[in-house]
Order: sequence, then C-alpha cells, then structure tokens
Amino acid sequence: MSISSLIPRSGKVRVGLVIVIIFVVLAAFGPLISRHDPNATSFDMLEPPSGRHWLGTTQTGQDVFAQFMTGARTSLLVGLLAGVVSQVASVAVGLLGGYLRGVADDLLYILTAVFLVIPGMPLLIVLTGYLPSRGLLSIAIVIAITSWAGSARVIRAQTLSLRNREFIEAARATGESRMRIMFFEVLPNMLPLVASGFLFSVIGGILSEAGLAFLGLGSLTTTSWGSMLYFAQNSQALLAGAWWWYVPPGLAIAVIGAGLALINFAIDEYSNPRLRTGSATKGTTSSRAAGGDATSANAQVSGIGSSATPAPGGATGATAEHVALTEERAAEADPELVPHVRPSPMPGAPIIEVDSLRIDYPTAFGTVHAVQDVSLTLRRGEVLGLAGESGSGKSTLTNAVTRLLRPPADVAGGAITYRAEDGTATDLLHLEDRELRALRWNEIAVVFQSAMNALNPVTSIHAQFDDVIRVHRPGLPPAERTAIAREHLERVGIDAERIDAYPHELSGGMKQRVAIAIALVLEPDVIFMDEPTTALDLLVQRDVLDQIMRLRDEYGFAIVFTTHDLALLLEISDSIAVMRHGELVEYGPAVDIYRDPRHPYTKNLLSSLAELGSLA
Amino acid sequence: MRYLLKKLGLYAFIAWAALTLNFLIPRLMPGDPVRVLIAGSEGQIEPEAAEAIAAQFGISDDPLIIQYGRYLADLARFDLGVSLSNYPVPVIDIITGAMPWTVILVGVSTVVSFLLGTALGVLLAWRRGTWSDHVLPALTFLNAIPYFWMALILVLILAVTLGWFPYAGAYDRTMFPELSAPFIGSVIFHAALPALTIVIGSFAGWVLQMRNMTVTILGEDYVSMAEAKGLPSRMVLFGYAARNAILPSITGFALALGAVVGGSMLTEVIFNYPGLGYTLFQAVSAQDFPLMQGLFLIISLAVIVANLIADAAYVFLDPRTRQGA
Repeated sequence: MSISSLIPRSGKVRVGLVIVIIFVVLAAFGPLISRHDPNATSFDMLEPPSGRHWLGTTQTGQDVFAQFMTGARTSLLVGLLAGVVSQVASVAVGLLGGYLRGVADDLLYILTAVFLVIPGMPLLIVLTGYLPSRGLLSIAIVIAITSWAGSARVIRAQTLSLRNREFIEAARATGESRMRIMFFEVLPNMLPLVASGFLFSVIGGILSEAGLAFLGLGSLTTTSWGSMLYFAQNSQALLAGAWWWYVPPGLAIAVIGAGLALINFAIDEYSNPRLRTGSATKGTTSSRAAGGDATSANAQVSGIGSSATPAPGGATGATAEHVALTEERAAEADPELVPHVRPSPMPGAPIIEVDSLRIDYPTAFGTVHAVQDVSLTLRRGEVLGLAGESGSGKSTLTNAVTRLLRPPADVAGGAITYRAEDGTATDLLHLEDRELRALRWNEIAVVFQSAMNALNPVTSIHAQFDDVIRVHRPGLPPAERTAIAREHLERVGIDAERIDAYPHELSGGMKQRVAIAIALVLEPDVIFMDEPTTALDLLVQRDVLDQIMRLRDEYGFAIVFTTHDLALLLEISDSIAVMRHGELVEYGPAVDIYRDPRHPYTKNLLSSLAELGSLA
Repeated sequence: MRYLLKKLGLYAFIAWAALTLNFLIPRLMPGDPVRVLIAGSEGQIEPEAAEAIAAQFGISDDPLIIQYGRYLADLARFDLGVSLSNYPVPVIDIITGAMPWTVILVGVSTVVSFLLGTALGVLLAWRRGTWSDHVLPALTFLNAIPYFWMALILVLILAVTLGWFPYAGAYDRTMFPELSAPFIGSVIFHAALPALTIVIGSFAGWVLQMRNMTVTILGEDYVSMAEAKGLPSRMVLFGYAARNAILPSITGFALALGAVVGGSMLTEVIFNYPGLGYTLFQAVSAQDFPLMQGLFLIISLAVIVANLIADAAYVFLDPRTRQGA
C-alpha cells in the first residue's frame, strides 16, 4: 500500500476530507495563533474586519476571529463527543436487539421507537432547561440521548440480515460466544453503516449544540459558534449590519456539515454501487449489466490468472479481468481455441441478426471487452440457447439486443438487425425512442431472470397487464383489455380470478408464470428469457419449462434462452451458442454440439455433465 | 389491517412513554427545579414560597406512584398546571393559543418541502450521470445549514435590505385578529418568510433521500421490465420507480419530522412567531417549568399523530402491509 492509494478517487470525498481536516487543524491550533483573548472586551466596538481584528469585533469589542477559533474547538468537541456516545448506544442497542431476537429485541425495538418518534429538539430543550450546570460534556450527553435511535434502527435491520449468513452460522457452530460473534463477526461487516451513522451523529451534534447555544441554553462559560450567534442576535447585529459577526459561525457550521456529508457519499457509494455516478464510476466498474458480470468474472478469472501482474493497491475487479482477457487472446494462436461456428440448418426466415457485435465497458484501468465480435442469427420459431458462466457476456449481449444496456456499457461496433414478417429490416441499435417503444413487447418481449423482482411489488397483476396493453393498443376499451389479461393468465395455468392479486400473494412459480403471461400478451415474435427457471425448485422448474415449450408450439414465437445450465439447453434448444470471456466459442445446432463438441471449453462442460450423470 | 393495528398499539405505547417521560424528567433530573427557580429569581421569590411552588408543580414528598396517579388524572382533565411566568393562566390555554400558528406554519411548509424535495429527487435520479450530479454537493451544503442561520440570512436579505417582508410577528400589530380578508392576507404575508426558511432548510434532505432511493430502484428488474414493455418514460418513472422509491421516505418520516419540528422551533424564535417553539423558548428562558413540560408533551403528541397519519398512508401505498386484512 502506497500513500497515494489511500487518497480516495471521488472528488466529492476529497473535498469533504479537505474541509474536515482544515477545521480540525483550526480547532486544534487556531486559538494559539489568534492574538486576542476571545472574552476580552475592548473599546473597538463593532468594528469591521481589519488588520488588527481579522474578523472585526463584537458590540463589546471582543475579537470575532478569536471567538471563531475557540468556537470551532467547542463545536467540534461537542459534535465528536455526542457522535461517539450516540453511536456507541446505537451499536449496542441495534446489535443486541437484532442478534438476540425474542423479548430483548421487542423491548429494545419499542425503546428505539419511543426515542425515534419523540422529537429530539424539544426534549433536548426541556432536558437542558433542567440541567443545573451546563458543561460541554453534559450537553454532549444530552444531545446523544436524543439522537441515537435512528442509527440503532438501521443497525438492527442489518444485524437481522447478517445473523443468518453462512459465516455467522459457521461461527455459531464452532461454539464461539455470543458476544464474540456479535462484536467480532457481525460488527466488522457493517462498519460502513456505523461510520455513516457516526458522521451523521457528529453533524447532528454540531447542529444541536449550535441550536441550543443560540437559544441561550448552551454552556454559558464557553464560546461556541452557537453562542456567538446568540450574542449577535441579542445585540441586533443583523440590524446593525455587522455581517462579520454572524456570517462566519453559521457558514462554518454549514461547511463542516457539508464536508462530513460529502465523506458519507463515499460510504454510500461503497455499500450501494448503484449510487455511483458517472465520473466516480470509472474506477470501480458499475452499472447494472456490468456489475454482476464483471466482478464475478474476476472471481473466476483470477484462478486462471496465473502470473498476471500483481494488482496495485487500489485495483478492482476490472484490472484483473482485463489482464486475464488480454492473456486469453494471446493464447488464441492455438488452432483448437478459435471459435467454432457451424451453419444452422434451421428453416425459417431470420428475425434477429447480430453482426460482429462488440461491447466495451470503459474503466479507469482500460477497456473491458464484455462482448467481442459476436455474430448470431435467430430464425422465426427457433429456440436459441445461450450458455456461459456468469461474466461470460451473455447478459450484456441480450441486453444489447433488447436495448436495455445501461451506461457505461458502450456498443463499440457491429450491428443488430430486426426483420419483420414481410422482410423489412430495422436497425435496432439506431432506433428513435418512439420507434423503439412501439417495437418493444409488440415484437420483442422479455422474461426476466428472477421472477421475484420482475413484477412491480406495489401494483396488482391486473395493472401490470393493463399498462402495456393500454400503451400498445390505445383504442381498446378497458373491459376488453381485462378480458385479454384474464385469458393469458388462464393460458399459463393460473386461475383468472387471481388477476387482482399482488405479486407478494403469489408463489415463486406463479410469479414466473405471470411474467411469461405478460410477455405473451401482445403475441410477440421473439421472447428473451434470462434464466427464467433458475430461482425455482426443480419440480416447478420442470413445470414452467413444459409450459414455455407448449406455448411456443401454440404461438410459434422464437426464444432466446439464457442460462448457465447446458444440460437444460441441450434438451430444449434448436441451436446453442456457448460464450466465454465475451467471445462466442462455439455456435451451432444443439444436436451437433452434443455429439461433436469442438472447442475444448465445450468439451469440458459436456464431460463434466456426463460425470454428474446429467446427460442421458 | 393487522399492520395498522400493530402500529396503533406501538404509537399508543409511545404516547404513554412520552407522558411518563414528561412526568419523570423534573423528578429525575439532577438538581431540584424549585431550587433552580428560586435561585434564578435573584431574591424575588422568598425561600418560604418553595413549598407552595412545589405543590403547584405537583412535586411533593408523596411516593412517586401516587404523584404519578395524580399526574395522569390531571392530564385526563386536560389540566397541565398553571404557568409560572404568566401566573395564573392555565398552561393549556397558552398552548391552545400558540398551537394553530405552529400547526399551520410548520404543517404547510413541511408538506410543501416534502412534495418539492421528493419531486426534485425523482428528477435528479432520472437525469443521473449528467449535470444533475453536480447539484448534489450544493444540496448537501444546503442540508447542513442550520435553520436559524438560514433564517438570519433571509431576514437580512429579504426583510432588512430589500424590505419585502416583515421580519417579526404573525400579523400586523395594528390589526385586530378576525376572519377578514385583510387580516388573513397579513397572516400569510407574515408567514411567508418563516415558511420559506423551513422549506429551504428542509427540502434538500428529501431530495437526497428520494434521489438515492430512486437510483437504487431504477436498477431493479421490474423497472427494466417496464422499460422493455415499451412504456413511455413518464410511466416507467412514476408508476414503477418513484412509486416504490417513495415508500422508505414515508417510513423515514418520523426521523425527518423530528428534525423539521426542531428546526422550525428555532425559526419561530427568530421571527418572534407566536407558535409553540417560540413559547417553549420563552418558557425555558423564564424557567416556567409547567409550561415547558406542557409544551413538550403537546409537541410530542402532535408528532406521534403525524407519524400515525404517515403510517396510514403507507398502508394505502404498499399492498404488502395489507396482508391478512
């Protein structure tokens, strides 16, 4: 680890860190460099900033700069103290409740709810109103008492989800004590949450202290930014136009608060990759399509990655994969490793043609080629099986055809053509938004990977049928739209009466059938199915599969079926395309690939299937 | 409706906890409020009066449980005691006088700020990766500005320098409070600047939360499916993405409302706005403990009711909570 790798890449975080460091330095050394005693009065009353008084003077002739520096110390100290105390309380309550469950959790949950709902500021005011003497510590503790609850609830939720993970189960099995598991196994896995909670507690502490001091309820003997504002307000500094008195402390609170919140951006983006914005993304490979693919690819590639140059400190998945990919290409001199493509004997007219498609993900470490020079032809009524491990680029490929590719994925070359029944060709990659919308679902429908998330959880099944029919068949009266929806539910073997159900009221298999029924509703020519059966248990999987094949015979649509399950594809597909590291390694009729695999990778896959007894 | 009943039970408990906390604070805090009061009066209150004040206060040497029973019985009759600083006006009268001002000012500005912030959050999420990402740091800064300082700056610019708005009070002092158009106009005119402060001070928080949530939801499969369905962007964004992203905003209402109420109290102080926050500030300055406690209780109960309303809206918006209805 070199020092440079410790500097965060995100500009927002850098700015945040710089702000916070500046204020910490001011708080630590500021009072030493100011030449005046913050409390000493003088006859220079209400003077604007000058060489003698850098930030002018107050009505009683005190030096505002000296007060500001002392105020920085007070505010940061109270914020830090309140932050620490409040975060310790949230972690204790959240961890104990979430891990122990049962009565302890119920009680702690209710306790948290009480402090969450009762408004903090009035409670704070009442509590400090009763404090006989108000020192910094007692103020900080009172602030912490009123502010720990929000973070405790977040930590509890995270503990609940972590406690059933395998590594925690394993720790329990080895007989580790509960305290040890909680603080050494669970806690380290939610440090981002704790850190983020801490930052917000510090901000909250600084703001609360300022608010209290502004009301004259702060520590009366210490100068803080809040008390400066209190005196400024009470001496009508506003009306006197003494901006130098009340602008600096308020601005300082806002700037340090923003600084801490900016640092929190990094934590947010770390724990939720979807939040990474364009510029911040570049270093870390993100976006929906790439996210899953690239990182998991790295996991697999690194095994093979052999002598790849040791990744520098801040390297992410992208580098390792990139390195591995270049190596892979160097190996292509071996004639066995070139792609093996056999012509498809399928009759039917072509419906989708992919021609030399190349898709790149730009990253800070170079470009990752997610799809390299892939050509495919799908014919009417054909079932094309697209096989490959996670990260092979198969999802990127299908997302390109369905135009669901998200930035920063970039089509670097090639073409995708859709051919209508009368032979008219449509360039899918260069379609206007309106034309694309008209084509979607009418011609190309999609059944998504996990039926769990493919349906909108908050609207009824009826509504999810209805919107697509309404948009694409504008003239149709509502009663007819409902009739179409009901008919299609029946087609996939679901009682039409369930049409008003919400997704959470259906089983996994039923949700998958509903997704298929919705895909059929406009009778498209092609349906893309992305692992439609993976999340289901075996019997249901078989059932859904049979249903799909029956419907195919009935409607005659073509299917592009994506899965990592080659055995399944051999059974249902007319042709099979095998992808690896973004390349098409083998493509041809399913029967030929089964009998006579030519690429070593396909051979390996088939022989391992044979060993498992998955092939008849 | 099991979900709602459970919530109702929880809020009933929280309300009870607030009542009890209110009872315990003066009795458990270090230092004797009566002595604090006498010390603070700088000799104006004779030490002999201590017992009378304590009695007025409901503090006696009786066992806590008997005091508690008496406290609850008084509450049931809406008897919150008598104000010390406005002796002998009952606390409940002062509160009912101040309450409408706060409910209208804070209520309206909170709703406006929530709607504005949420709408802007959805917009920023939709346009993410463009110029809109540069708005985020500015919003973060806005979100960190203390309400009272924001109020000071707005007063300076809009009231003192430009003279567009009055900077104190709830209506023109020369007018008589009545339901007439000029009076209502004056009320709105006076409320504009405090309301603007609360909206500017709080909407950025809603924007940031809604933006992050919408960005997260935009990555969900059901949003991709809506897009693949060929639905217009407007339908994808509002019917699918925002419709789901707003749910956490509503459950997070409790958290935010507390902050907004706290901030609004300081805003009221700056504008001398005769609401609950300003009254609480005066009660604390005058060490009027009965008034202080009555106010704390009423503000807490109001926030609890607001949360209950938010939860009822949640049941309406999320069918998953209606299970077992």
